[in-house]
Amino acid sequence: MKLAYYPGCTLHGTAREYDASTKAVCKAAGIDLVEIDDWNCCGALEAIFDKELSMGLSARNNFKAQKTGLDLVIPCSICSHNLSRADMAMKNDPSFRKKIEKALGEEYKGVKLKHLLDIIVNDIGTDVISKKFVKSLKGIRAVAYYGCLLVRPSEVSKFDNPENPMSLDNLIKATGADCLPFTRKTKCCGGNLLMSKQEYAFLLTKKLFDEAKAVGSNCIVVACPMCHMLLDGQQAMIGKAHNTVIDMPVLYFTQLIGLGMGLSEKDLELDKNMVSTAKLIESIGKAEVSE
Amino acid sequence: MIKSSELDPNFKYEISKEPGGENIKKCFNCTGCTVGCPVTEIDKSYNPRMILRKSLLGMRKEVLTDDSIWLCASCYICFERCPQDVKITEVVGAIRAIALREARAGNIKIKNTKPVFDNLFIDSVRSNGRWYEAGVSGTFMLKTKGVGGAIGYAPMGLALFKKGKLSILPHKIKGTDEIKRIFEEVSTK
Repeated sequence: MKLAYYPGCTLHGTAREYDASTKAVCKAAGIDLVEIDDWNCCGALEAIFDKELSMGLSARNNFKAQKTGLDLVIPCSICSHNLSRADMAMKNDPSFRKKIEKALGEEYKGVKLKHLLDIIVNDIGTDVISKKFVKSLKGIRAVAYYGCLLVRPSEVSKFDNPENPMSLDNLIKATGADCLPFTRKTKCCGGNLLMSKQEYAFLLTKKLFDEAKAVGSNCIVVACPMCHMLLDGQQAMIGKAHNTVIDMPVLYFTQLIGLGMGLSEKDLELDKNMVSTAKLIESIGKAEVSE
Repeated sequence: MIKSSELDPNFKYEISKEPGGENIKKCFNCTGCTVGCPVTEIDKSYNPRMILRKSLLGMRKEVLTDDSIWLCASCYICFERCPQDVKITEVVGAIRAIALREARAGNIKIKNTKPVFDNLFIDSVRSNGRWYEAGVSGTFMLKTKGVGGAIGYAPMGLALFKKGKLSILPHKIKGTDEIKRIFEEVSTK
C-alpha cells in the first residue's frame, strides 16, 4: 500500500514521536508513505472558527495530495478534520471552490483522505495488522482516549461511533494489553481552551486522569497531538495546579502497536514523551502488582 | 430585564450570513447542546443554549461582549447531537467573526486572550505557511502574562527544546505566495 502523507506542523515539532512511530509502524506494516511536497499548516484550532480560512488553507494540501495520485493519510485529528472538511466544501460549495481554484490556478478533482487510525483498523484491518504483533503487551492496562475531532462531527469523520467508538479499544486489545472501559473516551481534553481559560483546560484534562486512574489503568493511548500536548506535555503543570503528581504515561497508538510489532524504543521515540514511559515498558510481561 | 427597544432583530440574519452561521434560525431551544457540553459540566454559567437564544432575540452587544463565546472548546458534541442541525460549534465561530470585526472597528472590547493567540498564530501561517511555535508562544506569553509570567513557562520551553521538539527559527514553505492568495480570496465576500 502506498499513501500520500500529511504530517502537519506538530508532527515536525512537539509531536515528533508520533511522526517517528507512524513511519516505523507503517514501514513494518508494508505501507509506503510519500510526504506531500511543500505542505502548509491546516489552520489548526486557531482558524477552526474562521471556517473559510481554515478550509482554504487546508484545501491547498489536498491539491498537493491530488498531484501524487495517491490516497492521503493524516495522523493528526485536527488536520484530518480540517482537510476532510475542506475536501467536502470543495465538492459541495461552488462559491468556495471558485475562490480556492482562483487562488491556486488549478482545478480540484478531489482526493480520498483518512485518519491514520482509520487506515490501520479499517483499510488494513485490526485482524490483519495483529498478525504483525510478535510480542504480547500483557501488563499494560490502557484506556483508549479518542478525544473529539477523531470521531466528530460524524458528517466529516465517518469511520467510528461519534460518542462510543471502539476501534482503538479493539486495536489495543489485539496487542495483548488490557483496554479498560473509559466513559470519558470522547470527552474533550480542553485543548482549545488552553489560550482562552487555562484553568478550564486543566480541569477537563484532570477529569480524564482521575477516571483513568480510578479504573486502574497504567497508561492512556491517544491518536491526536493536541490531546497528547495536554495529557503528556502539560501533565506536570496540571499536577502542579491541582497539588498532585499525576505520573500517567501517555502513548500515541502508533507507539503502542509498534511495541507489539517488536519495534525498538528508539524507533518509536519513547524517550521523547514528556512523562517517562520507562516504568510502563518494564511492566510489559509482568503480572499486576497488587497495591 | 430585556428591553425590546434595545434589541437588534437583524442580529440573527447577520450571523446567518457568516460562513458556519447559516443554520442558527433552526434552533428550537431544546437545551440538548448544553446538557452534553463539557464546559458547562465544569462551569454552570456557561450555557450554549443561552448564547443561541440571546442571539435569536437580538441581544447583539451582550452576546458579542460575553466572555462565553470564547469558551467553546470546539469539541463538536453539541454539533453532533443537535436535532435541528444548527451546527452550533460553527455558529459560535460566526459570532466570533462578528465580534472580532467589531473589536477591530473599535466598537467593542474583547477581554479574552484567545483572539490574541489566534491572531499571532494566523499571522505566522500567513507569512511562513506553517505555524512558528516558539515565536508565537513566546510573544503570546509576553503580551498576556508579562515578562514575569512568561518566565514561568521557560522551563517547559527548555524541556521541549532539549527533546528536539521546539525549533528556534520558523520554517518557511516555498509556496507562501499561494498562501497569500488564499488569505485574499477567503476574505472577499
